[in-house]
Amino acid sequence: MAPRGGHAAAAVGVSSGSEDDDEEEAGFSRSYFLAKEKEPSSGKKRARAAGKLSDLNLVDEQVLRASLAEIPPKHEREVEALTRSYKDQYRNWLFELRCGFGLLMYGFGSKKMLLEDFASTTLTDFTVIVVNGYLPSINLKQVIVTIAEIFWEQTKHKRKRQTATRSQLQPFASQSIDDIISFLNNQTSDNGDDNVCLLIHNIDGPALRDAESQQYLAQVSCCPQVHVVASVDHVNAPLLWDKKMVHTQFKWSWYHVPTFAPYKVEGVFYPLILASGGHAQTTKTALVVLQSLTPNAQSMHFSSLYTKCRERFLVSSQVTLNSHLTEFKDHDLVKIRKHSDGQDCLHIPLVSDALEKLLQELA
Amino acid sequence: MAAPSGEAPLIAATNIEPFYVLHKGTAAAASSSASSLPSSGRARRRIDVSGPASPSSKSGKRSLDEAAVDDDELYERLRLEAFHRVWSKIQSTINEVLRGISLKLFDQVLQWVHESFSTVRSVARPCAAEVRQPYPLLTDVICRKIPTAFVLTKNAEFVDDIMTFRDLAEHLESNGCHLAKLSATELSEKNGVGGCFRSLLRQLLSDVPDVADIFALASWYSAAENYDQPMVVIIDDLEQCSGDVLGEFVMMLSEWVIKIPIFFVMGIATTLDAPRKLLSSEALQRLEPCKLTLGSPSDRMNALVEAILVKPCAGFCISHEVAVFLRNYFFKHDGTITSFISALKLACSKHFSVEPLSFLCMGMLEEDRENFWRDKFNALPQALRKYASDLPSCTWEKDATKSADNMIDGLSELLNIQKDWSSVLLCLYEAGKHGKVQLLDIFCEAVNPDLHTQKTPNLPNEKSGTSRRFIDQVMDTIRYLPVETLFRLLEVWSIHLNGMDKITNKVKELQSTTISTDSVRITKDKWPRRSTNNTGNGTVALNDKVAMLLDDVTRKFLVSVECLPFHEIICFKNVSILQSALIGNPRRMVQLDLVKSHKHLKCSCCRKNGIAVSASMHDTSIMCNLAQEYGDVINLHDWYISFDGIINSAHSKVKRKPHTSPSKKKAKPIAAESEAMIQARFCRAVTELQITGLLRMPSKRRPDLVQRIAFGP
Repeated sequence: MAPRGGHAAAAVGVSSGSEDDDEEEAGFSRSYFLAKEKEPSSGKKRARAAGKLSDLNLVDEQVLRASLAEIPPKHEREVEALTRSYKDQYRNWLFELRCGFGLLMYGFGSKKMLLEDFASTTLTDFTVIVVNGYLPSINLKQVIVTIAEIFWEQTKHKRKRQTATRSQLQPFASQSIDDIISFLNNQTSDNGDDNVCLLIHNIDGPALRDAESQQYLAQVSCCPQVHVVASVDHVNAPLLWDKKMVHTQFKWSWYHVPTFAPYKVEGVFYPLILASGGHAQTTKTALVVLQSLTPNAQSMHFSSLYTKCRERFLVSSQVTLNSHLTEFKDHDLVKIRKHSDGQDCLHIPLVSDALEKLLQELA
Repeated sequence: MAAPSGEAPLIAATNIEPFYVLHKGTAAAASSSASSLPSSGRARRRIDVSGPASPSSKSGKRSLDEAAVDDDELYERLRLEAFHRVWSKIQSTINEVLRGISLKLFDQVLQWVHESFSTVRSVARPCAAEVRQPYPLLTDVICRKIPTAFVLTKNAEFVDDIMTFRDLAEHLESNGCHLAKLSATELSEKNGVGGCFRSLLRQLLSDVPDVADIFALASWYSAAENYDQPMVVIIDDLEQCSGDVLGEFVMMLSEWVIKIPIFFVMGIATTLDAPRKLLSSEALQRLEPCKLTLGSPSDRMNALVEAILVKPCAGFCISHEVAVFLRNYFFKHDGTITSFISALKLACSKHFSVEPLSFLCMGMLEEDRENFWRDKFNALPQALRKYASDLPSCTWEKDATKSADNMIDGLSELLNIQKDWSSVLLCLYEAGKHGKVQLLDIFCEAVNPDLHTQKTPNLPNEKSGTSRRFIDQVMDTIRYLPVETLFRLLEVWSIHLNGMDKITNKVKELQSTTISTDSVRITKDKWPRRSTNNTGNGTVALNDKVAMLLDDVTRKFLVSVECLPFHEIICFKNVSILQSALIGNPRRMVQLDLVKSHKHLKCSCCRKNGIAVSASMHDTSIMCNLAQEYGDVINLHDWYISFDGIINSAHSKVKRKPHTSPSKKKAKPIAAESEAMIQARFCRAVTELQITGLLRMPSKRRPDLVQRIAFGP
């Protein structure tokens, strides 16, 4: 996240009244420097001495994913009660939304259910558009076009009466975002009923994290009939906005609403740390790769490889051998280092135990 | 609500669609309006404030609960209405004050525009047809210069100037200039000159042609109704613009300056050499500069505090605690008027959102206040009536029979005392000005309820010393004021104290002594100005007399609103909800959530042995607690082993040591969670920490280590 404004950096500065948890503070004043001290320059050695992921008996990724879906919930009742406890605040949230503020929800736990419950029970007067900001790609223009179309739809009957002052020739989708926003800025309503609420899950999500998207969102959020309710999960989210955006456009009113609900949909797009992702060398992954190779490629081993392979009629030229080796290198099954005599030396980066096990299983 | 952990299918369309319409508002609104407020149908949000609006009268037919819900909604709308009225009053006061302060500058700009326009027109006055011709007029090089006013804003933070430039635009527009504003985002590389032109045309023309170029502008300008006015382009934040784009824009317009008299007004936040740094020398030569300067930010702040906090402009006020918080927020946090105002607005909305009787604030804006309050009070449902009589500020004078009169009298009294309070405060400030005291500082002292309780002089000095620091400073300032200044000060006082007859008389008395001593003194020592403090006992005594009068008045009239009955109705006191809404601090709070999860979950299982991490805790919470033991990098293997140890300690009572070899451990636990499940839980916790940004994933080079991002909540 690119730092903007420095709003958040300064946010720590105001401390009047925040001395509520002094002992807490003393207990956890583990500053950055303390943390650095723990990992001194000799840390490399320590890290090497410490255990490696490959030492663990990691289960297969499919099994892992299957288990992931079956994790028994903890504190189900308490989590539900906590989420329910925010229901009392719904009226106040609505009040503030009508006062012209944007609601920004933060705190640990998925806030998707909470916000959608708020929207469907309390924001009944509003047309609510939900944006799933946690998805890796979002077309913000389509969102803005949809808002514009809703207003266009709402004012249809009004325009008919006024015999179409300036007919909308172009569809919104073919206009520029700036043009659509200036259309939105001209929307005023006599009764204040035609309001749109933009409900953005993870306004700090990966697809919305760039400055341009945030600028557009900020501009949309201060259009006269548009209200914004959003959630953030990243601790550095405030760095997305400068002062102009915070105070004159989004006009955030923060709410700390930890839910401790699992980040089910939000987490789908993150790789599983123990699913190896190509880093952790395990016999399992090696096995999978080896088994997927051609039978000829499976039996190559050492540096005088070519002669041996030739002897066994496995390869007929160095070019073929190299193409096989490239395959191995790509999957980190074989590594190359220069020997002291200048020749390339091939080796398999697996511990001997693992190698034995591998051979056993292959046999 | 469905349980959040419930089985919402992961691949439900609503979860993986980038966006969707949850529901439409109008249909829902139509049905809800019928059920929630049958009496007023369409115009339900515009509640007629002056009308009888007595929901309790029709509650007879329906059940009590229903009536209570109706009442709640009705009063909620009333409070919302009150907020909008009160805030729009405050906002318009703010706008007025700020515009007033900048008016001098605005007039200077306007005059400069007129002068520049007549200069340009004196060179040539092309006819409409000539303007539309694509080639330039034959004139000398000098006339390719665009008159440009550089306005020095003296603000490090640009956000405060947005309002100033908006007002300037309005001012110029209302005085017959064509006006367009270009922001830094428009003058950016990405937007290019074409984009600038498009947004320029969008602001001037009612219909923007597909090809946005200078000819479109020329043909629009040559129209009879547009022709005789100058065109001003305001670029409010020069430093943030792209020099290349602006340069090109300047070059292009300068060719046309005779045909289309466009002038620039550019806001500069840093120093006058900013344009030189930004623009090429070629583009610079096309500008005819003129330098103007804005008023100082502290002047604006003082004027604002006077208009919206000291003078009760809309009936809404803030408590001492809130005032001190806002002051710290302003001085320590960000120092912009914009954020101060938005904080005040948030305070205002919180007040009307939380305080049930806050809608009575509207009475302050009514002509016939007492009648308004009486109507409203008589319509109050029983619960609110009881609430009113139970307000902590007026419990000591409870009289149930006359509570309507009580409240009306209380509120009227409140207003009167507030008026005196603000007059005295302004007198203090007038004197303090000579000692460079800021109004916000004195204001914070004057709203302190302790100030009133401490007026008895036998209290320990140290305590009153801290709460009267600035007031005492003002007294000191008075003691050393030269007589002429003192005389002028007294004059200003008698204006401020208008209506407080007793004190005005005393001021007049002092004024007459001033005049008499003054006339004597002036003939005596006309020249040695410095010696005023030391000469003649009369002067010294006079300074002291003025100080004593002020001190006396201060102690008598500077009664904080918080000491008065019914102040809760108009005074916002809840500093903690304001602070939490204003300054979200995810970095600290999210970590605290995790480390102290039991505080939020309020479960019975996790708190058994105080600080220790127990297996029953939320998985991510366990992981976060374990992470506290590491430095800036965490070894995944060790982390996993400790996590596994904690989870399994619940199953097998044997406490494991985290550094035993994992391969030996595997065989042992029988009733323990399956390895796959623990790994899955570990993975999920890591993912959740990653979502919160507390963790960064391993790099290719060090696959076994993850990086911690935040340290200590």
